[in-house]
Amino acid sequence: MIPLRLKIATQRGEPFIVRLNDDRHFLDATYGRMTAFDAQLEDVTANAALYATNHGPLHIYDTDPTETHGDVLFVVPDRKIAHRFIRANSRHNTFLVTERCDQLCVMCSQPPKENHTDMFPHFEAAALLTETGKTIGISGGEPLLYKDELFGLLERVLTARPDLRFHILTNGQHFCEEDAGALSALPRDSILWGIPLYSHKSATHDEIVGKQGAHGRLMQSLAILARTGSAIELRTVVMQPNAAQLPSLARFISSHVPFISVWAIMQLENIGYGRQNWDQLFFDNSVDFAPIASAMNLVRARGIEARLYNFPLCTVPFEYRELAPQTISDWKRAYPDICEPCSMKTECSGFFEWHPHNKSYEGVRPI
Amino acid sequence: MNQIWPLKFRSLDASSLLFADDAGGYFRSDNEFLDRYASDVLFQSDHVFLSDNGHSYSTEDDLAFTSFAFRWTRRQSVQKKLSYIILVPTLRCNLTCTYCQVSRAPEAAKGFDWSDETLAGTISFLDALETADIKIEFQGGEPLLRLDLLDKIRAFCRSRFKQSQFVVCTNLQRLGPNEWNFLDADDTFVSTSLDGDFATHQRQRTSDADKTKTFFANLEEAVRRLGSNKVSALPTIDVDDPPDVEMLLDNFEHFGLRSIYLRPINHHGFARKLKPQGDVAARWNSFHAQFIETLIKRNARTGNFMEEYYFSQCLKRVLRSGADNHVDLRNPNFFASDYIVVDHDGVFYPTDEARMLSRIGRVDLSVGRVATGIDQEKVAMLNGSSLNNFDPDCIHCAYQPFCGSDVVDDISRYGRVDIPRHETWFCRRQTSIFDKVFELIYRDDPATQKSLVHWIGLPAWPQELAMVHR
Repeated sequence: MIPLRLKIATQRGEPFIVRLNDDRHFLDATYGRMTAFDAQLEDVTANAALYATNHGPLHIYDTDPTETHGDVLFVVPDRKIAHRFIRANSRHNTFLVTERCDQLCVMCSQPPKENHTDMFPHFEAAALLTETGKTIGISGGEPLLYKDELFGLLERVLTARPDLRFHILTNGQHFCEEDAGALSALPRDSILWGIPLYSHKSATHDEIVGKQGAHGRLMQSLAILARTGSAIELRTVVMQPNAAQLPSLARFISSHVPFISVWAIMQLENIGYGRQNWDQLFFDNSVDFAPIASAMNLVRARGIEARLYNFPLCTVPFEYRELAPQTISDWKRAYPDICEPCSMKTECSGFFEWHPHNKSYEGVRPI
Repeated sequence: MNQIWPLKFRSLDASSLLFADDAGGYFRSDNEFLDRYASDVLFQSDHVFLSDNGHSYSTEDDLAFTSFAFRWTRRQSVQKKLSYIILVPTLRCNLTCTYCQVSRAPEAAKGFDWSDETLAGTISFLDALETADIKIEFQGGEPLLRLDLLDKIRAFCRSRFKQSQFVVCTNLQRLGPNEWNFLDADDTFVSTSLDGDFATHQRQRTSDADKTKTFFANLEEAVRRLGSNKVSALPTIDVDDPPDVEMLLDNFEHFGLRSIYLRPINHHGFARKLKPQGDVAARWNSFHAQFIETLIKRNARTGNFMEEYYFSQCLKRVLRSGADNHVDLRNPNFFASDYIVVDHDGVFYPTDEARMLSRIGRVDLSVGRVATGIDQEKVAMLNGSSLNNFDPDCIHCAYQPFCGSDVVDDISRYGRVDIPRHETWFCRRQTSIFDKVFELIYRDDPATQKSLVHWIGLPAWPQELAMVHR
């Protein structure tokens, strides 16, 4: 697995952001010049790399400096760790801006916590140091609980760095009419709002997200996003409680939410509440693909894009595989031994690192 | 109680009606529902259905209202940047087809080619375009008679635009090493006429057996040398003497051509003189409908799926918002928006049909000259009649949200733009095709559905597209 945290040693003090540079020339024209955040590689020993930073010398342990070249780190001196906010050689970089949430989804992979520390200034600095043309994920918890901070970050970063894009996961409970101005002012091609909708029925949706009235509130938010021309990735985790309803949801999407950029039908992740509730939730699409096929065919006939996220290709019928991109983030993607001879391994999402292969898809096999 | 968007309706068969709203939402129901709708005594179950199917809303700007507005908007065509230019470097041709659509001149005639000034004017016109990607269609006459002009235009476009693509509309009758060499380029495509079987092609186009053999040999060579994805062919159909449909399909399939765009002999240009008798539109519509049935049976039999190009466009247009690639399905149908024609004398026309119509002197539909620019006033005048939203007939038609408008065809056939729609060729052809589209959508038959899903590019037919309310 790719480490998201590094062991470090540095002078005591407040947390800070650095960008790592080895002896190669890294900076390019867009985000160009050396900044006060840049750290230069000075020395490499058997188990550590030494960087010179504005905060004094920084030792990073058990890491190959060529692997972390261009990374943007959040260094926490007292805890002797650095978080890799941006990994330069990855497409999967996500800022976890809060762990608070006002929903309690039955399959939540990141169960909410009460504590919140405002890290927005650090995330903003990290975003501005990111390599040209990258997409940055923003997730939580619920990022829109800190709407002012979030909109401020988006506006400033995208003004300074129009080359960047953001993919923001939100439960869609907090957009209101007053946000229309701010949303319209943001560059709409640069932000994709990832929003979950589990059912066309409010009762089913509300039960899954653990909040009364969530469905109705989401409908308001979707209308506001549509009127401001915001780009939406509608996300539906397919589970036992909602699988049979997918065709009805597809019909609802084609008549009531046709303005989305893409509908993502997603497989379940076995972590957090998803692990606790696995037996009641996991839907084996290798045994029954019919509701998914029917739902996808309906929206696609109506001209709406649909994709399958986090589906191992062998569990998907041949004609639908082109709709299943490699979506599991590199740092949590794994392939069991059975995948070794598979001809499609390099195009396949594989499995979450923590996927339970003893309670898994029946249809897993090399293609 | 929800507000219901206006519904228009049309008989599908003896016992059922098709209902459609302005955003293109549709369903099948019956006379009893129509009575309840018309007399405003809908059942609660009617209201639930109408809401679920997107035909109603409760408050302005709610999700149902907003999504309806989105779907309506996406069905309206928008002005685009000019990026598709049809060029006629010469009107001369080395064939004398019986129905010639384009008002040709004899091969040896003088004064039917671009002058040096027209070439220079065309190049500065292209140079001033805002688009980064350009598509050039060389029409004629036979454009390969002026390979030198084609070469100059292509070289200029390649250096001026980020991406450029060229289509040569040729009769494939006379090709030497230079012509083949020109067509070999990756960015250059061939479009030709293939009127079905050998006999029909000879009768309508080549007139003698040697020329017909030459054509078929050249088509064979074009497909072999350039690949079937770089070659397209259109059959022009004389509805009173049509080719054998199975033979036509065999021939197209033999050349790897899976998409066939049936064109009736039209009454522009010299073809007007043929003056066909009787109700040609009815005969054409029935030929076209029969052709679709033949395709369905054949596709089910062979598994090598073929399509009638325009029918597929109409099918997609019914199912989806935003599917208006074909100009006959655009509404409003803006002229000189994304494409324009430059004739052999440097005169601009909004369409190829307008060019032919003007040439026979019936009406002047030119919209400027390359030397002086596009006549925006005249374009605006044409555009004024080029939408169906407020047409006194179209507003009652269940197919209005799917349809387009063709003011040039109306002028060409009737000399005016305000003929009752159902009497026009355009309306009758469109209505007949949309009737067929809905007949097939609601036909519960595996063979039909196999063709339908192939034509819209899906793995399987979702039954929910045949929405019924009782």
